[in-house]
Amino acid sequence: MIIERILIFLIFITGFIGLISMKNIIKKIIGLNLLSSSIVLLFILEASRIGDEAPFLDDKVQNIVDPIPQALMLTAIVIGVCVTALSLAMAVRLYKTTGSLDITIIKERLENDC
Amino acid sequence: MNKRRIFKIFLTTFIISFTILPIILSNSSWPTLARDYLFMHAFDETGASNTVSSIYLGYRLIDTLGETLVLFVAITGTMSILLNLHKQVLQGVETQSSLPPEKRAKNALRTNLVEVVASKLGPIILLFGLYVMLYGHKSPGGGFQGGVILASAIVFLALSTVVKTKLTNSNVLSRIESISFLSLILVTTYVVFFPNGFFRNIATNNSFASATMIIILNIMIGLKVGTSLAVMIIAMMGGQHDY
Repeated sequence: MIIERILIFLIFITGFIGLISMKNIIKKIIGLNLLSSSIVLLFILEASRIGDEAPFLDDKVQNIVDPIPQALMLTAIVIGVCVTALSLAMAVRLYKTTGSLDITIIKERLENDC
Repeated sequence: MNKRRIFKIFLTTFIISFTILPIILSNSSWPTLARDYLFMHAFDETGASNTVSSIYLGYRLIDTLGETLVLFVAITGTMSILLNLHKQVLQGVETQSSLPPEKRAKNALRTNLVEVVASKLGPIILLFGLYVMLYGHKSPGGGFQGGVILASAIVFLALSTVVKTKLTNSNVLSRIESISFLSLILVTTYVVFFPNGFFRNIATNNSFASATMIIILNIMIGLKVGTSLAVMIIAMMGGQHDY
């Protein structure tokens, strides 16, 4: 159990470093996606600690995992898709306006224009 | 300047690991109360053997409505940004992906392979998306998952210029989206007039009728999610596909 947790933490940190240190907007969005994926994985792992079968009720099924975090993570995935779509649209807009995806160049060009 | 930046990144990473590591590594026991209740009662109360389905379409329908609203707002924002962009910047300029193959530039990242594979795979994925959407109450799947598969099938059909279908037309897709969203709102508010509680499944103790309710909701959510994502991706690929 501890190895999975450390791996999830590594995914989280990778996403976070990508989010704060990359200069390309697309790479920042990929970092944001990695971050939300690590949180989804953490919740699914936590739910699977009290059972070992998929939550489909049947005669043979005895020991199901907790389905509530899975239903919650469905919401989280949909919100993640929404955030990704909006940020990609904004990235397209910035690229068409300034001609670059690098945030420092975008900042310079926007300051020169105004 | 560069050293300061690296130091800042290092410090922020250190602080965030210090905050997040206890949460990830915490080993406290997970409560089994809700799991046991759902295991005993979920099938009788909502009629879905998929417990995740019975949560988000039976017990927590209002959350699903809110989730669909969030998706709707995000798609609206994305489309408004993209459509203004096409009007302002790309006036009169056709993008490569919406042209027929003989008019494209030679360096466009499209080959005949993409055309053939996308046009053959599109209908099959469409069928699979419908299956996942319709069987969400008793197998892995549901409205959101099936909708996303439907959206990828429609994107495949839009990538291929061989298949002539009305399904990749943005106007048709928007109409399907509006109708399914309107009927979703009507159905979820109609449930209020029954005495089973706010936003609960109207049929209980009868697995056939209540599963029918979940199937109807799954179809509406699937059509809504699939068509709205497809409209958005087609707009990102370069505007309308009119055939």
